Amino acid sequence: MEEHITDFESAIGELETIVKTLEGGDLSLEQSLALYERGVQLSRFCHTRLEDAERRIELLNDRGDRTPAPDALTQALDDGDNA
Amino acid sequence: MNEPPRLPFGTTSPPRAPSRKVVTVSALTTQIRTVLESTYDEVWVEGELSNTRLWKTGHLYFSLRDDQAQLKAVMFRSAVRYLRFKPEDGLKVIARGRVTVYEPKGEYQIVCEHLQPHGQGALQVAFDQLKRQLKSDGLFAADRKRPLPLLPRQIGVVTSLDGAAIRDILTVLSRRHPTAHILIHPVRVQGEGAAAQVARGISLLSRTPDVDVIIAGRGGGSLEDLWAFNEESVARAIADATVPVISAVGHETDVTLSDMVADVRAPTPSAAAEIVVAGREELLSRIDQLSRAMRGSVIDRLGRRRTRLLELTRRPGIAAWPARLAGRGRHTAELTHALTSAGRAIPSSLERRLHAVRSRLDACEPRRRLEATRTRVVTAHERLRAATAQRRQALASRVGDVAGRLDVLSPLGVLSRGYSLCWNDDRTAILRDADHVSIGDGVAVKLRRGELTCTVIGKK
Repeated sequence: MEEHITDFESAIGELETIVKTLEGGDLSLEQSLALYERGVQLSRFCHTRLEDAERRIELLNDRGDRTPAPDALTQALDDGDNA
Repeated sequence: MNEPPRLPFGTTSPPRAPSRKVVTVSALTTQIRTVLESTYDEVWVEGELSNTRLWKTGHLYFSLRDDQAQLKAVMFRSAVRYLRFKPEDGLKVIARGRVTVYEPKGEYQIVCEHLQPHGQGALQVAFDQLKRQLKSDGLFAADRKRPLPLLPRQIGVVTSLDGAAIRDILTVLSRRHPTAHILIHPVRVQGEGAAAQVARGISLLSRTPDVDVIIAGRGGGSLEDLWAFNEESVARAIADATVPVISAVGHETDVTLSDMVADVRAPTPSAAAEIVVAGREELLSRIDQLSRAMRGSVIDRLGRRRTRLLELTRRPGIAAWPARLAGRGRHTAELTHALTSAGRAIPSSLERRLHAVRSRLDACEPRRRLEATRTRVVTAHERLRAATAQRRQALASRVGDVAGRLDVLSPLGVLSRGYSLCWNDDRTAILRDADHVSIGDGVAVKLRRGELTCTVIGKK
């Protein structure tokens, strides 16, 4: 059941296949519940990929070096978040 | 045979010897030049460009003409630099310059300091010229437009840090895509050198690993303000970028050449940010849709099975059993009960299982996840604030303590009790011994307030 999920694209593809199978196929109850659980796993994986990261704002100078954006830029956004 | 025509001088009225004054060609040319230059040292002349040639040296040679005359003209590199449009044959212009003589060829010409298109603005002419050029190079072709990535790993932004554009972009991204990774290359977006900076920024970001899309733009302004985005270097940089570029210049109504070359034109910087996050939102809603469809179909399936099971238990074959067994005593009654409750137990165990799975599905719905994350962040924030306040207070009381102790040790504290410090004349040492000064030496005495400059008049 805990089959490995490699990447976002294949996860969403598999999820689509599962939905199609569930909607159309003549499955046993056991089979459909197994598919359902797999589907839940996949959709959780996709959400995690989309949500689990921190916002990062950086500056890139002419030499290609990165530095964090000045507080003046990010401050306003944090205020905006709280509002 | 015709006689060769006679030259009009020499024979009929010979010049009188005394008044004859012969000058050299160069002397005469110099005189003519002086006359022309002093008479026409600043003229405005209108005409059509012809024989226009830009030399490798950077100087521009051309003629100004109307239907009856033409005037040779030159514009030196130092002035050509400031031309906002490309001088082309047939263009009607107004030129400002001075008339001079090119002595080696005996030609008079106008040296132009300034050229402007006649009837329309220089910028408009430049815009039209470059637009034609870019179009014939195929840069506006629809099949060049690349699709935007659904999930850009990093979003590159080329704009000024001072303008409204960066704020608008960041505000939208932080609201609609709280996990975005944004990489900004700050540039000037107007004035000298702006176009070069914007062009370089686009190509730099396009070569930066993990940057999957670039937003280049600025807020609204006049045609001159937006001009960098009409420059060829910027348009070419957009076309050459290896990742899709969204142009976001000015307001809805401003259309620049950058907009035409870009893979996507956003009417405003905020809109550019919205366009970038649209892919992610599309994915989120697709996943939610799939989850709902999946749940719906499983619930449906379970419902159908349960209905069928109930139907079966009501069939006369089974339903009649209790009655048929009724007469056979208590033992059979128990069997009947066991049978019917087993019938009920089957669907309810399935339902329990469905319930469990459903609540797991609910738990991963984005809204709930966001709520949970937000609560976590707020809690962490509160704790951080409390911890910071506590720490600050501890530091403050330590500082107060140290300051009090310093006060006791300070020489100023001693002075305020009436003691004073006495320095030698060159202030290299505090005097502790009367032998270290001689009568007549100067000393400085520091009191709690102010200082005295003294001379030693006696010693004990």
